[in-house]
Amino acid sequence: MLIELLTKKYPGMRLWLTQRISAVMMVIYLMLMLIMLAIKQPHDYASWFDLMSPWWWRLLTLVFFASLFTHAWLGVRDVFKDYVFNLRLRAVLQVTVDILLIAYLCWVCIILWKL
Amino acid sequence: MAKKTPIRNRPKNLNLFTIRLPINAVVSILHRMSGMVLFLLIPALIWALQTSLSSESSFDRLGAMFRHWTLKLLLIGFSWPFFHHLYAGLRHLGQDVHWMTTLNKARFSSRIVLVLGACSMLGFAYYIW
Repeated sequence: MLIELLTKKYPGMRLWLTQRISAVMMVIYLMLMLIMLAIKQPHDYASWFDLMSPWWWRLLTLVFFASLFTHAWLGVRDVFKDYVFNLRLRAVLQVTVDILLIAYLCWVCIILWKL
Repeated sequence: MAKKTPIRNRPKNLNLFTIRLPINAVVSILHRMSGMVLFLLIPALIWALQTSLSSESSFDRLGAMFRHWTLKLLLIGFSWPFFHHLYAGLRHLGQDVHWMTTLNKARFSSRIVLVLGACSMLGFAYYIW
C-alpha cells in the first residue's frame, strides 16, 4: 500500500513521507543530544569539543542538519504555495530559500569538517 | 456529489476578526507560524554552533553572551516556538497513524500541546536563569 503510493503517480506522497521521516530523525538526534549532555555534562570548551568531535557524532550532526534543511524546505514550500499567489514572486522566494538552505548545508559541512 | 457552485459566486468572509478559530485550528496555525520562526532562526543556530566550536576564546565569548539577561530573555522567547512546533509535530505524527483522531480527542490533544508548550518554556526559563 505505502510502496504503491510512493510511485511516480503520487509525487506528493513522497514529499509527505520525507517531511515525516526528517521530523523523526531530528527528534531522535535531539534525544541523543540530551542524553550526551546529561552524561558528559560539558562545562568548558574542551569538554564541549570532546562531545562534538567524534566522527560518528559529527556524522549524526550532519544527518540532523540535513534533515532540518529538508524539513524546512518542504515546510516553507507549503507556506509559499498557500499564501503567495503571484507565481513569479513565489518562484523568486522559493529559489532564494533553496539557495539559502544549500548555503547553510555547506556552512555546516565546513564547521563539522574542521573539527 | 455536492452541486458545484461557480467559484465567483461562493460566499466569502474575509473579515478575520469575525472568525473564531477552534482550538485545533489555533494549534495548527501556531505550528505553521512557529515553523517559520524556526526557519528564520537557522542561521543563528549555525552561527552559535560555529562560534562554540571554533576556539576557546570564541566559546567563552559565546558563553558570556548567553549569560546576559537580554539574550536569556530572547532565548526563552524563542524556546516557545521550538517546543510548540515539536509537540504539535508529534501530535501530527500520532494522527498520521490514526491516534486520537476523533474531534473530542483531537481537541484534548490540542489542549495538551498548548499546556505542554507553556510548561516547557517555563521549565526552560527556570533552568537557564
